[in-house]
Amino acid sequence: MTLLRLFFLVTLNIALVGNVWANDPPSPDMPEAMYTLKTTEPERDVGYTVGDKLSRHVQLSVKKPYQLIETTLPIVGYERRYRGQIIGIELRQIQHGKKQFKDHTEYTLDLEYQVFTNDATAKMAFLPAEILKFQGAKKDDIVQIRVPSWGFRVSPLAVFGAVKIEQDMSTYRPPFLIQPYPEKQKLVACLVVLGISLLALVYILGNRAWLPNMGKPFAKTYRRLRKLKPETANISVALTHLHQAMHIAGKTSIFSDNIEQLYQQQPALKNIDAEIKQFFQLSRAVFYENKLNQLDATETLAWLKLFCRRCRDCERGLKAIR
Amino acid sequence: MSKKQLQDWRSHAHNLEQEVNKVVVGQHDAIRLITIAIFSRGHVLLEGDVGVGKTTLLRAFTRCIGGGYQRIEGTIDLMPNDLIYHTYLGEDGKPHVTPGPLLMSGEDLSIFFFNEINRARPQVHSLLLRVMAERTLSAFNKEFHFPHMLVFADRNQVEKEETFEIPSAARDRFMMEIPIVIPQDEGIMESLVFDTRFHNVDALIEQLTPDIVQFNELNDIAYQIQSSVEASPTLRKYALKIWQATKSPAEFGIKIPGVDINRLVLSGASPRGMSMMLRAARVNAWLNDRDAVTPEDIHAVLHATVAHRLVFSPVYEMRRTEISRQLLQAIVQAVSAP
Repeated sequence: MTLLRLFFLVTLNIALVGNVWANDPPSPDMPEAMYTLKTTEPERDVGYTVGDKLSRHVQLSVKKPYQLIETTLPIVGYERRYRGQIIGIELRQIQHGKKQFKDHTEYTLDLEYQVFTNDATAKMAFLPAEILKFQGAKKDDIVQIRVPSWGFRVSPLAVFGAVKIEQDMSTYRPPFLIQPYPEKQKLVACLVVLGISLLALVYILGNRAWLPNMGKPFAKTYRRLRKLKPETANISVALTHLHQAMHIAGKTSIFSDNIEQLYQQQPALKNIDAEIKQFFQLSRAVFYENKLNQLDATETLAWLKLFCRRCRDCERGLKAIR
Repeated sequence: MSKKQLQDWRSHAHNLEQEVNKVVVGQHDAIRLITIAIFSRGHVLLEGDVGVGKTTLLRAFTRCIGGGYQRIEGTIDLMPNDLIYHTYLGEDGKPHVTPGPLLMSGEDLSIFFFNEINRARPQVHSLLLRVMAERTLSAFNKEFHFPHMLVFADRNQVEKEETFEIPSAARDRFMMEIPIVIPQDEGIMESLVFDTRFHNVDALIEQLTPDIVQFNELNDIAYQIQSSVEASPTLRKYALKIWQATKSPAEFGIKIPGVDINRLVLSGASPRGMSMMLRAARVNAWLNDRDAVTPEDIHAVLHATVAHRLVFSPVYEMRRTEISRQLLQAIVQAVSAP
């Protein structure tokens, strides 16, 4: 029993002594004239939640003879406490650099912390202050610099309960900004659709033509006829195209016995009345009198193209070229 | 028959038209259509008011083509046997039987004019329609033939009392229905009223050159015309489209103001009607010195050969004349060729 009590006491003593080593006694602060400290904190101080990482950059310029005791650099993964409570912010990574100059030394520290705490509501958290110790010229000349803590807010993963925004005037909540980009994109898309629709409407109202004198029946037919090769079979094709153009221009089926209806719709075509009658004679010979093979394809197609061009000119209000 | 003979006959036909135009003024279209009917051997239904010159017109044609001309008036008490024979008591006090209008001219009968056909009973229509279709008649245990006969009937569309509407099957036997209208030209109207030449019809008819064409040769020449005038594939396609349009006008986008086009037509033109239309179109092409039928030939005879064959919904029957004209006009405008 006595032996067991002795073992317990020895163990407790060792634990107490270890704890004293772990919490190094504070050293005197380095005189402010001896150093300059500059920290670069994360861009925002709100909107973090569990799992988020925060980076902090520390730039320190220390005059000689002071040199950083590297064993005092913060330890990765070490649980940080504040007033005995685990703060839930853990150092994940540290990188440090050192540049020697004639009269001073520059240190850079890149610290990356990760948030391991959360709550049902937004709560205050902070990146812990870091104590860095420096060795002076003498062995017992040890001073420290405190890199200050940096406060921020940790947000819950989800809103707890019903939130009335009017009543929640928390200073931790940043102002609500209207994001203009989606609306702008929608506006641009709507304007594009509107523009295309208007163009389509103009095209349809313009009888499927962009310009007033474009896409009229004889103009279209002339473009088709120009592509035809001088072959006998193409005479029928050309005649058919021209008949269709006349039907469209006359807004009814046009035959040799109702040419007047064509002239009512297109008065300019009356200028080439003789050619139109010649066209109907040719059409009759081809389609009804079986005289297609008696025609010279080159000559006939050339005449049909010329006739179509004259019709097109009349259609455009030009004087037919003779 | 050679081409030369066909040309000779064409000039005879033109002479025939000119002669008739001398005594019947202001009826060029009707005279051309009757000429076409004569040379395509089709029966004709004349439609017109009283006193517009229908009888004069037919008598003029009869004189110019020769042969027998017979006429009968349609009345409500007319019976079929009245067309075949008459019975009477002779001077000897005995009953006698003499041939009626159909048999009186025998095989030489060239024109039989049935005046006001819609006043006769359906029994009379039946007899006449058989004679029209077969050109034969059974009577007195004997078969009579009328190989050269053409029937010209007339009906008054305005008067409806004591009339029997001619059924569509009967109308279909007629090749043409030709409207005879009062000429609108003031000069012609004045001549008809004040020119004493037109007051005596008998004397007027006597002025005409008789027998310009021989009635008993018309069947042969008609056959030759039909054989010699061609109908190309394009024309056939066009004629078939016209036929389809008479049956389903809505499919061709045809619209008539105040008419529900989907309900208008109960039955379009019949196959017989379309064949008669082509026969008439061929004759029209021949008269115009052409060897092939064109769409214009069809247009020239379309209304006369098709309008009376269309069967409309009863609600539109009262406006038949007006609607059929509008419908056929719209069909010509809607169907294109080639």
